[in-house]
Amino acid sequence: MAKEHNKNSERPVAEKGEHIIARHLIDDDAIKEEKNLVIDGVDVSGRWNTFIETRVDSEFDRSFFDEIQKTVVGSRINRCWQCGMCTASCTVTPLYRRFNPRAFIYMMQLGNLKLLKKYTDVAWRCVGCYKCSQRCPKQVNPAEMMEALALLIKKYFPEEIKSKHQLTIDEEVKVIYEGMILGHGRLDLANLHTSAMRKMGKTTELMSDKDERGAIFKMMKDGRALSVLRLGKPHKWHKSKDAIDNYLRHTGTLEQENN
Amino acid sequence: MAENILVIGGGPAGLHAAIELAELGVNVSLVERDTFFGGNPKKFKYKYLFPDLQPAENVIGELIKGAESNNNIKKYLSANIESFKEDGKKFSAVIKSSTGSETKTFDSVIVATGFEHFDPAKDSKYSYQLFDDVIDIKDLERMMGEGNFTRPSNGKPPKNVAIILCVGSRDRHVGNQYCSRVCCTVSVKQAIELKEHFPETEVYIFYMDIRTYGFYEDLYWKAMEEHDVQIVKGRVAEITSGPDNTVICKGEDTLLRGPFEIPFDMVVLASGMEGGPQSPEMADKLGIELDEHGFLKQANVTLSPFKSNKDGIFLAGACTGPKAIADAIVEGGAAAMDAYIYAKKNS
Repeated sequence: MAKEHNKNSERPVAEKGEHIIARHLIDDDAIKEEKNLVIDGVDVSGRWNTFIETRVDSEFDRSFFDEIQKTVVGSRINRCWQCGMCTASCTVTPLYRRFNPRAFIYMMQLGNLKLLKKYTDVAWRCVGCYKCSQRCPKQVNPAEMMEALALLIKKYFPEEIKSKHQLTIDEEVKVIYEGMILGHGRLDLANLHTSAMRKMGKTTELMSDKDERGAIFKMMKDGRALSVLRLGKPHKWHKSKDAIDNYLRHTGTLEQENN
Repeated sequence: MAENILVIGGGPAGLHAAIELAELGVNVSLVERDTFFGGNPKKFKYKYLFPDLQPAENVIGELIKGAESNNNIKKYLSANIESFKEDGKKFSAVIKSSTGSETKTFDSVIVATGFEHFDPAKDSKYSYQLFDDVIDIKDLERMMGEGNFTRPSNGKPPKNVAIILCVGSRDRHVGNQYCSRVCCTVSVKQAIELKEHFPETEVYIFYMDIRTYGFYEDLYWKAMEEHDVQIVKGRVAEITSGPDNTVICKGEDTLLRGPFEIPFDMVVLASGMEGGPQSPEMADKLGIELDEHGFLKQANVTLSPFKSNKDGIFLAGACTGPKAIADAIVEGGAAAMDAYIYAKKNS
């Protein structure tokens, strides 16, 4: 028996969840891989718990909607009628098909956390070009809705974010964020995005042709990069830095740092 | 000598036509099958009318008062046209009412026999009449008119309400391919009224399209933006009983491509409009044409929408297709003009 057991252990076992076509129907975390499992002399090694989850939604949870609506950035969630103008004008969607502001807003309206959880890896990828907000016929302000989404995802799925993205958001993003605000007087979301990627150790993805770098080239080529910079840009950025400086000095927050 | 014009139907269109003609000095005979004037709005006790939520009584009440106080209008209640025949350019009709039969000659005729609410019981998937908490828009309109917004099953405020659009409309399965035009606007109006009465109640509208055309769109925006009414895309295919005295709406969310089975305290079916049995009856009796949707056929939908295919017989209101009360009143006036011109030329 023991020998047989050893022989089996050399049998290659597929990567977790590999070969599963309808992955969105399966809860990855529930899958159990057993390379050497013999029960009562029967070899039952393999992949377990791949039962398809129930696909039927059985409730609309409006508490999520209420929570978003109370935030400054998400106050207009009740306006969205799902026309898709935001996703159509989105800078990110053509690069990451799974980043769909229209669908995210809908999931938030109906409180579909089960589905939102599957998008924790892309939900925060808004680069803040505000094209969607400019084009939204209902003035929902989807760009800021994505901010509301990121905040709520962080609140509801902290483990998911930590384990899957190796980013201790609170500390590291705060440093990047403050550096930008204090250093340049403005928030550059594209910069925030790439810095966060770097902090997460996703440099390969950042530099690979097919992802970030490719995206940047593509955006330069078709002019989107330029329009991102132009859109909603106030005159005299440096004045905002002075204003922030003044404010912090006035409240005494910055003095400590200067000392 | 004054003209004689017959107006069949005492709803918004017929009342308005009769009043306009009477103002011109015409001898009008107004024939109504019910025991009262006012048509469906009166029959089903509509409370408030879109788009401005004014009391229905302001409109229907005024029309009824106008007709009742005008001596040029001879009123026949609980009446019907027993026989009808052409007499050269004129028409001869026998009007049968509770006071007996009367034969009269008319210079022209206006048909304003209106519509019937689609009966959701005809479409079993909605379980209407099976569950107390599944009602339709005319039921809710009557309930709200009586100041009652609670669940029919237990008289308690509903926690959540589903409004299902396109019931009996745009559905080959029930034989109605057309859009009933007003149900979307009535539904968002009712959603607003529900939310105003019970702010804590969650209201969901299941839609395929929301067709609040023209300025009616304002109500739709108001429902969402001021009352947090949530729209969910997908038609409900089945209503079954759920736990804790709820009814489950089963459907597909076509935006997220996922099936749902959601329990609701109350379901409101936005049932559409039909030509009713009176349309073929009128077509048969008067010798005019019926269209493929079961309404009376207009001679030319664009150029002469108030004429039937027979000279001297005119059409007004919802008997030619689904329409709002405001449109029916407009058509009453327009058909009155056509009927007056015809009578003037031939009398």
